[in-house]
Amino acid sequence: MEELKKIILEFAETSKKTKFYFKDLEKAVQAKMPDAKSREIKKAATELVNEGKLIYFSTGSTTMYGLKGRGITEDQ
Amino acid sequence: MAFAPKRPQKEINYEEVRIYTEEELHNYTEEELKNFKIKHDIPALEDLEKGPWPSFVADAKREALHRKKLAEGRTMVDKDVVDDLLGQLELSFNDGETHWKHGGIVGVFGYGGGVIGRYSDVPEKFPSVAHFHTLRVNQPASKFYKTGFLRALCDLWEYRGSGVFNMHGSTGDIILLGTTTEQLEPIFYDLTHELDQDLGGSGSNLRTPSCCIGKARCEFACIDTQDLCYELTMHYQDELHRPAFPYKFKIKVDGCPNGCVASIARSDFSLIGTWRDNIRIDQEAVKAYIAGEIKPNAGAHSGRDWGKFDIQKEVIDLCPTGCMAMEDGELKINNAECNRCMHCINVMPRALRPGTDTGVSILVGAKAPILEGAQLATLAVPFMKAEPPYDNIKELLEKIWEWWMEEGKNRERLGELIQRKGLPRFLEVIGVPAAPQMVKMPRTNPYIFWKEEDVPGGWKRDIKDYRMRHKR
Ligand code: HEM
Ligand code: HEM
Ligand code: SF4
Ligand code: SF4
Repeated sequence: MEELKKIILEFAETSKKTKFYFKDLEKAVQAKMPDAKSREIKKAATELVNEGKLIYFSTGSTTMYGLKGRGITEDQ
Repeated sequence: MAFAPKRPQKEINYEEVRIYTEEELHNYTEEELKNFKIKHDIPALEDLEKGPWPSFVADAKREALHRKKLAEGRTMVDKDVVDDLLGQLELSFNDGETHWKHGGIVGVFGYGGGVIGRYSDVPEKFPSVAHFHTLRVNQPASKFYKTGFLRALCDLWEYRGSGVFNMHGSTGDIILLGTTTEQLEPIFYDLTHELDQDLGGSGSNLRTPSCCIGKARCEFACIDTQDLCYELTMHYQDELHRPAFPYKFKIKVDGCPNGCVASIARSDFSLIGTWRDNIRIDQEAVKAYIAGEIKPNAGAHSGRDWGKFDIQKEVIDLCPTGCMAMEDGELKINNAECNRCMHCINVMPRALRPGTDTGVSILVGAKAPILEGAQLATLAVPFMKAEPPYDNIKELLEKIWEWWMEEGKNRERLGELIQRKGLPRFLEVIGVPAAPQMVKMPRTNPYIFWKEEDVPGGWKRDIKDYRMRHKR
């Protein structure tokens, strides 16, 4: 779990985009840990949200993730 | 089976959580309303009030006046928020464009859905709607409320929001329209801690499941829609609040093919109550309908004289599969041909009833037009039993989710994925054999690739043997 969270954070810090889909997260993790299951990746992402490190971005119809403090701000 | 809540139910004294007094709630006269003008000129909107139906513009003006007359400090959001809402809408009408920005990172802690960020793109003109976020409130199954709950909710939203809301959105939730970012956490706290009420789904997650009124009031219900809806809502809380799907996913439950929540048109996973035995017939009641002793359609079409009830013209000839007939004064139904359209049952509910071996038909992939136009659901499973704890339904649903999460592109609905990969591939995924009824038209594509398991006996193919006769 900690390993997953580390990979997700690394991706969130260094990816070209500041907002990304869950699938992007999934791909980034699976590039380093091919066996990682999407349920586990989701759990890790949820923990990061609960720790205040990742945030959700939602248009109402679609949801994306972002690193808190990077690129997108609380009030656009 | 008797209803049992899945978590302890809080005894709530709704009067204790009320915010406003009776005087505050009834703080203007109809005379005042007649002479009331909001802050902005809104001729285009006022034109809407001239139509035959009650207008939201008239309602909004009432709310604007009501808020104006509340004392300072009795609302946490600007008192003139409704004035600015109408003012911005008037501007949009004139410009032919919306003035709402789309999206934002607003939300409540730990939830990826339930709050939808909305910001005005002309905040200098309409400062009170600079933030105007929407909240989705998870409606109870079949939308039964206590009046005490509704009063408390109205008070809460008047106090911490715009006071404007929508019963209910297309997904099913109550939609609270318009509040500021600062008020989101307090509202969430009050909703959950005082009213024991959760938010619904939005974004790339499971949307709040919804169902028809079902066995609570409807004799046609083949399944307990409320129980099934509640079970799925509670079982999939993580999917509802923490988005990880490619896009939205909606589940709706209709108790019979009449489809009162239109699950067939409005959900990715549509559960429709049905039966696999025979329509129950009471021949005496059939005779009573024919003799005019019982009103057809339970009297629903009595606004006009349609003449004497004619069972041949109004029922038998309208059966879409032509599977009904009168023989020796008795109504006969060839149930193997009946496609459960409900027409005959709706016309003669005292004589005909759905069978007793009931369950659901499961249809998938309906959606509104973003790509490729709107689409109705496709029948995937003709019949499945639907009894608590509904493990068979959950198993199917999870198989579908797994495939969609694996193969679906970002922002691709399940129906679009099935279109892209083909129905045969989808049937393989869920492990259901194709049925002739799933074929919409004779094939237009001459190229067919058979798989060995599709052909009785299979085949042997030896490439070396082939190359002996055919040079490269
Ligand atoms: C008596 C001799 C032949 C008959 C009766 C015949 C008949 C046909 C027919 C009915 C089609 C299908 C047309 C369609 O799909 O609309 C076809 C396609 C074709 N035939 Fe023949 N054919 C004959 C000889 C040949 C020969 C000698 C060649 C090549 C040297 C040839 C090359 C093709 C090709 C390439 C197609 C596919 C066209 C496409 O996919 O659009 N045919 N033929
Ligand atoms: C560099 C040379 C060639 C290229 C790039 C090429 C490319 C293609 C392509 C892209 C298709 C369509 C495939 C499809 O829609 O599934 C096709 C079909 C076809 N080609 Fe070629 N081709 C070439 C040479 C030839 C030659 C020399 C012949 C005959 C002697 C030929 C006969 C055919 C036939 C009969 C079809 C129709 C097959 C079918 O409809 O299934 N091609 N080709
Ligand atoms: S869908 Fe059927 S069971 Fe549900 S309320 Fe409508 S008629 Fe009744
Ligand atoms: S339910 Fe519809 S298809 Fe079946 S017998 Fe009645 S009218 Fe015919």
